[in-house]
Amino acid sequence: MERSTTDVLVLGGGSTGCGIARDLALRGLEVTLVERGNLTHGTTGRMHGLLHSGGRYAVSDRASARECIAENRILREIAGHCVEQTGGLFVKRPEDPDDYFEQKLRGCRDCGIPAEVLSGTEARALEPYLAPDVERAIRVPDGAVDPFRLCVANAMDAEAHGARIETHAEVVDLLREGEEVTGVRVRHDSGPGKRTHLRPGTTEEITADYVVNATGAWAGNVAALADLEVAVRPSKGVMTIMNVRQVDTVINRCRPKGDADIIVPHETTAILGTTDEEVSDPDDYPEERWEVDLVIDQLAELVPILREARTIRSFWGVRPLYEPPGTATVDPTDITRDFFLLDHAERDGVTGIASIVGGKFTTYRAMAEEIADHVCAALGVSARCETAERPLPGSENLESVLERMDAFGLRSPIARRSADRLGSRAPDVLECDGPNPVLCDCEGVTRAEVRDAIAASGTDLNAVRIRTRASMGNCQGGFCCRELAQELHPDHGHEVTMAALADLFTERWKGQRHALWGEQLSQAMLTYALHAATLNRDRADDGPLEFGTFDAGPDRGGETGVPVADGGPEGSGPHGRERTRGGRGGD
Amino acid sequence: MSDADRFSETDRSSDASDPVSVFPDAESMDLRPGADDCYKCSTCDSVCPVAAVDDDFPGPKFQGPEQWRLERHDDREIDPSVSACSNCMRCDDACPSEVPLSQMHNTARAAYVEGNVPRLSRTYLRNRLLSNYGRLAWLGSKLPRLTNFVMGLSVTGWINEHVLGITSEREFPTFATETFRAWWRRRGGAQVENANKRVAYFHGDYANYNTPAVAKALVRVYEHFGYEVVVPPQRCSGTPMFANGMLGDARRAARFNVETLADLVADGCAVICSCTSCSMALRQEYPELFDFERTELVAANTYDALEYLRINEDLESALEGTETDAFAGLAYHAPCHARNQGLDGQALEVLESVEGVDAEDVGDSCSGISGTYGWKRERYETSMAIGEEMFRHMARADADAGLTECPTCAMQMHHGTGYEIHHPLEVLEAALSTPDGR
Ligand SMILES: Cc1cc2nc3c(=O)[nH]c(=O)nc-3n(C[C@H](O)[C@H](O)[C@H](O)COP(=O)(O)OP(=O)(O)OC[C@H]3O[C@@H](n4cnc5c(N)ncnc54)[C@H](O)[C@@H]3O)c2cc1C
Repeated sequence: MERSTTDVLVLGGGSTGCGIARDLALRGLEVTLVERGNLTHGTTGRMHGLLHSGGRYAVSDRASARECIAENRILREIAGHCVEQTGGLFVKRPEDPDDYFEQKLRGCRDCGIPAEVLSGTEARALEPYLAPDVERAIRVPDGAVDPFRLCVANAMDAEAHGARIETHAEVVDLLREGEEVTGVRVRHDSGPGKRTHLRPGTTEEITADYVVNATGAWAGNVAALADLEVAVRPSKGVMTIMNVRQVDTVINRCRPKGDADIIVPHETTAILGTTDEEVSDPDDYPEERWEVDLVIDQLAELVPILREARTIRSFWGVRPLYEPPGTATVDPTDITRDFFLLDHAERDGVTGIASIVGGKFTTYRAMAEEIADHVCAALGVSARCETAERPLPGSENLESVLERMDAFGLRSPIARRSADRLGSRAPDVLECDGPNPVLCDCEGVTRAEVRDAIAASGTDLNAVRIRTRASMGNCQGGFCCRELAQELHPDHGHEVTMAALADLFTERWKGQRHALWGEQLSQAMLTYALHAATLNRDRADDGPLEFGTFDAGPDRGGETGVPVADGGPEGSGPHGRERTRGGRGGD
Repeated sequence: MSDADRFSETDRSSDASDPVSVFPDAESMDLRPGADDCYKCSTCDSVCPVAAVDDDFPGPKFQGPEQWRLERHDDREIDPSVSACSNCMRCDDACPSEVPLSQMHNTARAAYVEGNVPRLSRTYLRNRLLSNYGRLAWLGSKLPRLTNFVMGLSVTGWINEHVLGITSEREFPTFATETFRAWWRRRGGAQVENANKRVAYFHGDYANYNTPAVAKALVRVYEHFGYEVVVPPQRCSGTPMFANGMLGDARRAARFNVETLADLVADGCAVICSCTSCSMALRQEYPELFDFERTELVAANTYDALEYLRINEDLESALEGTETDAFAGLAYHAPCHARNQGLDGQALEVLESVEGVDAEDVGDSCSGISGTYGWKRERYETSMAIGEEMFRHMARADADAGLTECPTCAMQMHHGTGYEIHHPLEVLEAALSTPDGR
């Protein structure tokens, strides 16, 4: 077994963990971060992507609202290439309460959130697809944020300041000596360092002066390894990704409480969400069709065209909700979104460790600052936090990036997208010898960008995906997974390449299952045929494929419903009908 | 439902007291819903004649849905490659998901020209000149012999090539000494009056100025069947303007045409065209790009001349026993725009019944000229490379003349083979004027 030692050990590579690692590394501490999957593998990679203005909390939780607007302003500066300043609207339908609208407006103003009232006409001039009966709206500075890019940038900067970032390294035990936690034992999926498929795993004991448990919804499981109790109440939420952006502004519904009330324009897509349902196990919960139906149906009340639009996938995330013992809130939507720093020394008499639970992505930096302050205090280090001023890698001098793009000979939308994703790193990444073809057509990702990502993540093509957005578009990797895997060769052989490809493709398929009905189901056959015909990936180990399930055939189409793969023929509900080419139809 | 009516429906359904013009004109039209229908099957790319010969051309999928999907809200920057699209519209026909590809290309091209081609640049002036061919032709037709002489001079070719960027490889079409409309006036207009069978003839510029024989053939054929032909005032259909991104010019011309034709349609006329690009414009591009009142009405009542006769007359019986020796072997090329309207088989089917005419289909390749496209110096090579397959098949066919509905395809066919090229209506006219023609 390998052994190593570090000042601070951060468990979990979500926004919280990555934020803490960067903060501490900038303060000069030696940091090791371990994450069982790739970065953002947990909730951070499965969230809605809304950079809150605070408007959402302006009535119910003003402290959160104030914190959100402050952090929103900071992230626009330090993480410009991860944030799209879309603006947001709280829109009111005729049946939504008037007094709530007024409360929301007052709340925003009281919390210092710029808020402007628009008439229905003005709102539709801004967003033409808003429902004709939307009456009024409040405009706030919501934004869209790319959680992948933001976490990667934090990790990258931490590494640049001496941190060690280990992904695919699962904490299997906490080392406890009496009343002190001294480190962890991790299992490296393919040995330490960058991931290489099929390389045998190893274990390592890492000791540290301080351990920060930032494993979110899993914090209870991890704490239990040292016989500590953290009562996380995981709560799942579904998000459905639309193929194109029906709106360019964040759309919130202006009513007190409700599921499925936000649309976030995210990169090339729009993401609908979400729901809130307590689950018992953050690793194993049902992903149900009614949840997808619910978000589409509810949000189509705000943007009717959604009913006819194509969805490309749905995914679920679990909130790491936490309440201090004894609070016992019944409805998970009522549980506070605030975060808690559980100092186990104070709480359980066990030193050397703290757990972080709850919170929001938007305020990750402020959370990290507070935790880093706590760690420094525990270790007797005095160092100032710099994360509020120091731009993340990629976000320095963003103004001039677009102007410099002409040098790379990319078609204009590709240049634009590349610049948006890479920010100030664009010239370094795109500068390359030889041709630089586009590998992912749907998102406009070039080979140079993919190679840059591979250099950072080894054979983990899912890590390449979150860095580049390759395979996250319209075809969901149907066409480009192969192209991405191809880039691993000749550094890696055939078997490794195929294993990496299978991993990526399996992950892509996972979310697509929830987007296949009606005509989209038969269109999915294209991807199948492509992979079968060009990669022999139809070698079936589990019996022949049921071709019939892909298409109802000419006699079965029309108004009466199309059988779906998992549900059999359905007479009712949106799944049963198809109205347009891509959309799910509906009523 | 096409996107055009999807938009106008949104328009209508919005509260009357709360009018929001969703997308006032094509330049600001949002085609993301159309992009949404694409599932990337790439069939469009596989039928694109430009992509087949030009490796630098990214193809219709990129030009259309991909570019729209990638575009940012505040982006008006369109990739220059859109100007390499010839607007043959084959992609429209090929798409299994009804993605409005040519509509996307037309709007992208317009946005590109609007945003990127300086008003005083050579390309802009040249394209404007080419796309407003009707105006040029009007001038030319005033002094046809002189114009033909000047256009034939090598110095004119040099100026065209070097100053304007119009290829000197091609011979300018000659102007008829008498335009169709002049003939029509001289003839005293319609010779048949029939309140129950009236058609409005949209002849377009080319048949008027360059090939009045085609237009005359149409009149005679229709009169043969007892139709009253109306020849309304008209402007260019807009096809060359769409193809050059001159959407403003196209809009003005289209508005004029829709207004005049709609009155006639309301009066019981069907609109008939002898040029398949004209009928394509009236039927598909107008409703996709413009929202004048009654655009849909005109579109729904527009037909290709032969198509209309086939629907309403028993052409087969009428042609039984007819004969002509004026056209022996004909190599027939179906224009892309005819193909898109589902008309690619009709000419040969109709002529089957005419004794003495032996027409052979030369296959489904594109001629490559696509209106003004092949006239541009920088597109000439591409245009000829696309046409290569058609030239070869024409040469192999047992024919010494060509047959097609489209005037610019005819130019290309002639340019590539030296054959004389005819219009199906001319053959029909000859057949029907034989003693046996009933
Ligand atoms: C549906 C949904 C929508 C949301 N939308 C928004 C939004 O729009 N805006 C916003 O601001 N916030 C949003 N949030 C909240 C936000 O996503 C979370 O608060 C935030 O991402 C939590 O980050 P984290 O780093 O604390 O947790 P995580 O991202 O879950 O990180 C914990 C990490 O620990 C790792 N881990 C677990 N066990 C182990 C182990 N044994 N060894 C090593 N590593 C381990 C996990 O793999 C995981 O990567 C949303 C949450 C949900 C559920």
